[in-house]
Amino acid sequence: MLKKEELARYLGLCMASEADFAEIYEEEETSETISSLNTGVERVSRTVKRGAGIRLFKGVQTVYGYSNGVDDAHLLPIIDDLRRALGETEGRTAPEVTLTEAPFANNNPVRVDFESVSLAERTELAFRAERAARAYDARIVKTQVTELNVRQHVQIANSEGRLARDERVRTRLSINAYAAEDGNFQSGSCNPGAGCGLEYWETLTPESAGEEAARIAIVMLSARDCPSGRMPVVIDNGFGGVIFHEACGHSLEATSVSKNRSVFAGKLGQQIASSCVSAVDDGTIPGAWGSENVDDEGTPQKKRVLIENGILKSYMIDRLGGRRMGMEPTGSSRRQSYEYEPTSRMSNTFICPGTDSYESLFEGIEHGLYARTMGGGSVNPLTGEFNFSVREGYLIENGKVTTPVKGASLIGSGAEILMNIEKVSDNLARAQGMCGSASGSIPTDVGQPAIRVSSITVGGTANE
Amino acid sequence: MNKQAWLDRAAARGFDGLEIYVGRSAGREVKWFGGQMDSFVTSDVTGYSLRAVIGGKTANLALETIDDERIDETLDLLAAQAEIVASEEADVLRAPEAAEPVTGRTVWTAPTADRIIAALAATEKAILSADKRVKQVMEIGWEDSASGREIVNTNGVHVADENRSQVLYAGVAVEENGKVKDGFHVEIVPDLAKVDPAEIARKTVEDALDELGGTPIPSGSYPVIFERRAMTSLFGALTDMYSGDLIGKGISPLKDKLGEAIFSEKITVVDDPRCTDALRVLAYDDEGCPTRRKVLVDRGVFRTPLHNTKSAARMGAESTGNGFKHGYAGTVSVSPMNCSILPGTQTLEELMAQMGDGLVITRLAGLHAGLNHVTGDFSLQCFGYRVKDGKRERNVALITAAGNFLEMMKKVVAVGCDLDWEYRTIACPSVAFESCAIAGE
Repeated sequence: MLKKEELARYLGLCMASEADFAEIYEEEETSETISSLNTGVERVSRTVKRGAGIRLFKGVQTVYGYSNGVDDAHLLPIIDDLRRALGETEGRTAPEVTLTEAPFANNNPVRVDFESVSLAERTELAFRAERAARAYDARIVKTQVTELNVRQHVQIANSEGRLARDERVRTRLSINAYAAEDGNFQSGSCNPGAGCGLEYWETLTPESAGEEAARIAIVMLSARDCPSGRMPVVIDNGFGGVIFHEACGHSLEATSVSKNRSVFAGKLGQQIASSCVSAVDDGTIPGAWGSENVDDEGTPQKKRVLIENGILKSYMIDRLGGRRMGMEPTGSSRRQSYEYEPTSRMSNTFICPGTDSYESLFEGIEHGLYARTMGGGSVNPLTGEFNFSVREGYLIENGKVTTPVKGASLIGSGAEILMNIEKVSDNLARAQGMCGSASGSIPTDVGQPAIRVSSITVGGTANE
Repeated sequence: MNKQAWLDRAAARGFDGLEIYVGRSAGREVKWFGGQMDSFVTSDVTGYSLRAVIGGKTANLALETIDDERIDETLDLLAAQAEIVASEEADVLRAPEAAEPVTGRTVWTAPTADRIIAALAATEKAILSADKRVKQVMEIGWEDSASGREIVNTNGVHVADENRSQVLYAGVAVEENGKVKDGFHVEIVPDLAKVDPAEIARKTVEDALDELGGTPIPSGSYPVIFERRAMTSLFGALTDMYSGDLIGKGISPLKDKLGEAIFSEKITVVDDPRCTDALRVLAYDDEGCPTRRKVLVDRGVFRTPLHNTKSAARMGAESTGNGFKHGYAGTVSVSPMNCSILPGTQTLEELMAQMGDGLVITRLAGLHAGLNHVTGDFSLQCFGYRVKDGKRERNVALITAAGNFLEMMKKVVAVGCDLDWEYRTIACPSVAFESCAIAGE
């Protein structure tokens, strides 16, 4: 990694321009993927990335350059390009930049570094999940497991003198189980992960993840086509929180709010959700998948209360978004790698536990859908229109969960669905996902307790 | 990097083979917002990917810094990886093969920074004055990039080529009766001097106005036309079904279907990396295997899967030259390249007239989640318009279209003539189907 003096020298050169702020982000990342098919390892691949991105601001204008050559030969031409893009550089001299390392607490300690155990031991984690999936039911005919281990070192220095360094370690198992019966072929998946070392698999066992993937595949064998239309929906905890992530979270990011491209722009202090809804984005949860000690601008991560009893309390704001909005950054700036200019993003985002009992969620529903596990989704922040898919769904008939159904998606408008959340239970759980947006694909947790929405459009395959 | 030293060392150590893939990309992007430059991005990245075959088994390592002093240390890492790979995953590196050269039709002229700024400013102005319902220009940008690859291996393969692209894109928000919609357009620009900002503005604004005022329709089964963009998204999201790798693993809906009628006889699917109508043409895949035109589905009958070297060997076939990586650091997988449904003869208007009453779907959302790649089931948010007596009626939104792709492709009424590659490597004409399940009100 670049030394403090080198960073300061580059920052000084950047500031010999019309820029009023300069930042260098440097990164070294080692990632390893082990893919298994049934009982054998199909592929092992390892990637070592190293690069730097340099960003200059002039008011709300930004220029960004990146390279994986982290030396004068590569960085000086980039700095020159960036300075000229902001205007005349003639006669400007480089100011002195003094960097001071910002201290912060390490919320995400690593006990078992993945490289401290052998490749064979790492692979065994995937096989443990595989064996459990296969042992779950004789109808499980095929399994695929992908194990990902990542270590990322970052250092971020800026012309205000801040220097922050962070290490982010992540581990994840993605299990796909395939079930077959009488020509019917279905799949189930489970994708747990954490922002810590391999010690994570001591509390959440690979076996439990393998069994969960197998359980869903087996359920789907007996699923029938999902009916269509508007109906009440109970969405269970964990990955069910993708509804909040899509229907609301993205629309609270400065990326869309600062340019008036969000349905929630200008709504701070107003009621945007039913009064039983409170939600937070918390990047400080120790060892969580979406946690980090500092964001990708070097600002300490924090817990942001987004909605309190239905009232919009905060957006998620990066430095540039803050300049546009006249607000302080909230430590929400993230990026996939040095190849992306950072912007406001979510970390671990979830609906807080409510006071309704789990059983009461189903009471009084004559005809509805119970979404036990969710797939992904997407949203258009400008219009608030979202969609997401139900991986494992069941009919609710006369207050009881009955037949499993497949091929369902839920669509609607974010502003409307938040107001239609009628009940929130107390079984909060989080689940892991990869979130894609302007600054690339980043790890985020979604989460919620089980909730009941009075009416959503359910798109099913059944021609009824 | 002293490539020969690496190849020699791998051979001396008794590796079956070593492949070095060097990918370089450089580019710049200028974004414009609110009457001034919003952002400027410049980049230059070179990455190295090593693929070793040791005892028949493969190991992969991607590096952004190559150190010729650490060859042995790096090869040790590869050897350790190969050791744990299952023996049934055997693979080989390609031997040199001649391929007919092929080059794209586009001749690129690089614009100066001043011309780019002028074009973006003019486009913004043109969008703002294109229609009174325009609420805001969301974004306007210019992006040019040059990428190159070089593949060498211990068998003597040496492939090197380059690829360029230049695009201008624009996004707009329009508003009518308090409802907001966005529109987006990407224009491939070989020569910026020949671009008419008014024309780009017209296409961008039209894309947004097309969806204004959309409301749901009652749930039910409707005759539908998937307009070419929607058809391209649905077909494109499911092209992994033709992958010989997934078929060999038994997790494609096309497993055991070779030689069978899988679609309507009106459907022929072709994959052709040499198709010069498309933006990107390639003489070799990322393993150094020559590319060629394949008819995957011939008048409804499944004729050939796509293969890379490994998937072909597993199924006793030849590689089709479809071993591609996603970025230099990716591992070689089986991917389509310039894959399309061959166009028919009818225009969209003629398809609508033939349908009489029904629905045209213009755009789909949620494709990364709302599809089951094992079964072909889909349930997707969509946008479009109602058709009555063969004519366009009101816009439709907040509905889903659902079904099974393979079932639906058996019930094709007609295939349109409007195939347009634009900037894509997968493209379809509009296709009319007997029916589709729609969920709305």
